[in-house]
Amino acid sequence: MFKLALASLWNRRGSVWLTMVAIAISTLLLLGVERIRVQTQENFANTISGTDLIVGARTGSTELLLSSVFHIGNLSNTLSWQSYQHLRELPGVSWHIPMAMGDSVQGLPVVATTDALFDYFQYGNKRHLAFAAGDHFASSDTLTVAVLGYEAAQQLQLNVEDSLTIAHGTGEISFSQHDAHPFTVVGVLARTGTPIDRSVFVPLAAQGLVHGDYLPEDTSGAHDHDHQHDEHNHDHDGADEDHAETPPVYTLSAVLLGLENRALALRLQRTINTYKGEALSAIMPGLALQNFWRTLNLFEKALMSISVLVVITGLLGMLTTLLASLRERRREMAVLRSIGAGPVTILGLLVLEALLVTLAGITLGTVALFGVLFLGTDLLQAKLGIQVAASWLTGRELYLLGAILVAATLLSFYPAWRAYKNALADGLTVKL
Amino acid sequence: MSTCVELNQLRFSWPGAQSPLLSIPNLSLQRGERVLLRGASGSGKSTLLSLIAGIHTTGKGQVQVLGHDLACLTQRQRDRLRANDIGYIFQQFNLLPYLSAHANVVLASQFSPARRQRLGQQSVDLAAQALLERLGLSARQQQQPAHQLSVGQQQRVAAARALLGSPALIIADEPTSALDQEHRDGFIQLLFEVCEQQNTTLLFVTHDATLAPLFPRTLELSAINHAPSSSEGQHV
Repeated sequence: MFKLALASLWNRRGSVWLTMVAIAISTLLLLGVERIRVQTQENFANTISGTDLIVGARTGSTELLLSSVFHIGNLSNTLSWQSYQHLRELPGVSWHIPMAMGDSVQGLPVVATTDALFDYFQYGNKRHLAFAAGDHFASSDTLTVAVLGYEAAQQLQLNVEDSLTIAHGTGEISFSQHDAHPFTVVGVLARTGTPIDRSVFVPLAAQGLVHGDYLPEDTSGAHDHDHQHDEHNHDHDGADEDHAETPPVYTLSAVLLGLENRALALRLQRTINTYKGEALSAIMPGLALQNFWRTLNLFEKALMSISVLVVITGLLGMLTTLLASLRERRREMAVLRSIGAGPVTILGLLVLEALLVTLAGITLGTVALFGVLFLGTDLLQAKLGIQVAASWLTGRELYLLGAILVAATLLSFYPAWRAYKNALADGLTVKL
Repeated sequence: MSTCVELNQLRFSWPGAQSPLLSIPNLSLQRGERVLLRGASGSGKSTLLSLIAGIHTTGKGQVQVLGHDLACLTQRQRDRLRANDIGYIFQQFNLLPYLSAHANVVLASQFSPARRQRLGQQSVDLAAQALLERLGLSARQQQQPAHQLSVGQQQRVAAARALLGSPALIIADEPTSALDQEHRDGFIQLLFEVCEQQNTTLLFVTHDATLAPLFPRTLELSAINHAPSSSEGQHV
């Protein structure tokens, strides 16, 4: 019966092939969307790890997360240098990375920070940043140095020892260039698959220099948004040994904190949130990422429902093909009946055919998926910025494939039932 | 000689029809008999055959095939009886076009364990080969897809499929109407030979009166069918 079904399908291979391709494409789409969804979520969760708290001025957790981890958007509030000094003195803090944002290079965000970033920042599975070329800020004697993320270096076509100009503000085209202070590239980071890749890092002091924070009096007046001098700045007492008398910048966008003990995070978060000197908020990156991802749920669902609809279209195509073939196959059914095939056998034959076509379609789709993944990973990464790994099918993906198969089998019962009725009514005499 | 097919007080009408199509008081075919049943087109020949083959069941009366009262059998049992003991040859388009001639012949015995058993030690493949060869198909022709064969060859393949595994009854529904006279007589001759060898009953139905001299027994459907409307012909 299996051979019979195969032979019969082979006989109609033209339409069967098309049906199979339709199912394969819908399978490819469904799996692809599922994979991109999962991987995006994973990449998303991998953007930061090991950081226990992110501290910024009082703001929403999503806003703080977006600006500090994804370098998207602009924090309207900043925290003072003094608050930063307070933070790093808190008990249990083992490392701290200050960050000041607001400038850009051809649309790429500039993050002013310290070498602590290269020493302590972790992403993915607790991986540290690595240099593809060059070294960190302190490797050079000059102040105006920059370290580029992997993609940033490619996009700007810059390498170590090249120079670049930073623009004020975050627009792609800026009318205010800090061209009085050209920066020299001292390092290029290895690819991380996180927003780090698309960022330009400069030392805090260099940012202070170009913005005039380093000078006793800021006279330009054009810079007004990321270094509003609130009163706290002037209370600065210079207690910090590392950073001499004058702070490199007056304000920071965010501070990443690593703790000696993870369990301290909750208590410390409370301490920071209730800090009297300035209104601060501290967020736990893992939790904030999860919350943020939840808000993206809608898009995820929309994408998934579209691919489910495509699968349904594919299956309806199969249903149509099967139904259309019934008429021309009545003679075939009569012959089978004449040699003793019962109506149930004929019903089974049609269901089996649908099962085979779907199975072949699913297999083809899965193979195509892996083909795309193996051949197109670099292209996807480069053109769309989507990172998808060619890993083996997950349980959920197998479950989706199984669902397609079950749906196809259930659908095929309709044409099979029609064939069954035809077989009973026609008997051996078919009037064509 | 035992009875192969026996009809008693058979009355049959299609659902919705006012008068019965068939009304046959009695008809019996003996084991090994070769009978020609002649009737005009639309006189109910095919219907009668599907009743004997157990595709349809009668409203009234009795159809006995090899001692089984078909009305007492379930659909499944009738299908099995047909697979095991009845070979059926159509007017045309007997074969599954996408299978080879040989595969078409073997197919019938796949539905029937009894046929395979009757072949004894002989493998189904070899038996089919031998039978096809006897009916004049070369080994190469046997492997060709059925739709590439000539109509005459197709009918011989159909005969081989019906005959393989020695069923008790062969029902042939106008198997020669697509053949020219020369092929027709040759085909019938071959059919007779194999039937005789296997002691198979042959019920051969045709509208062609010129075949009558070839058969030992000829029945006119109009003579055995007492249904009132049968002679007036069917609505076409």
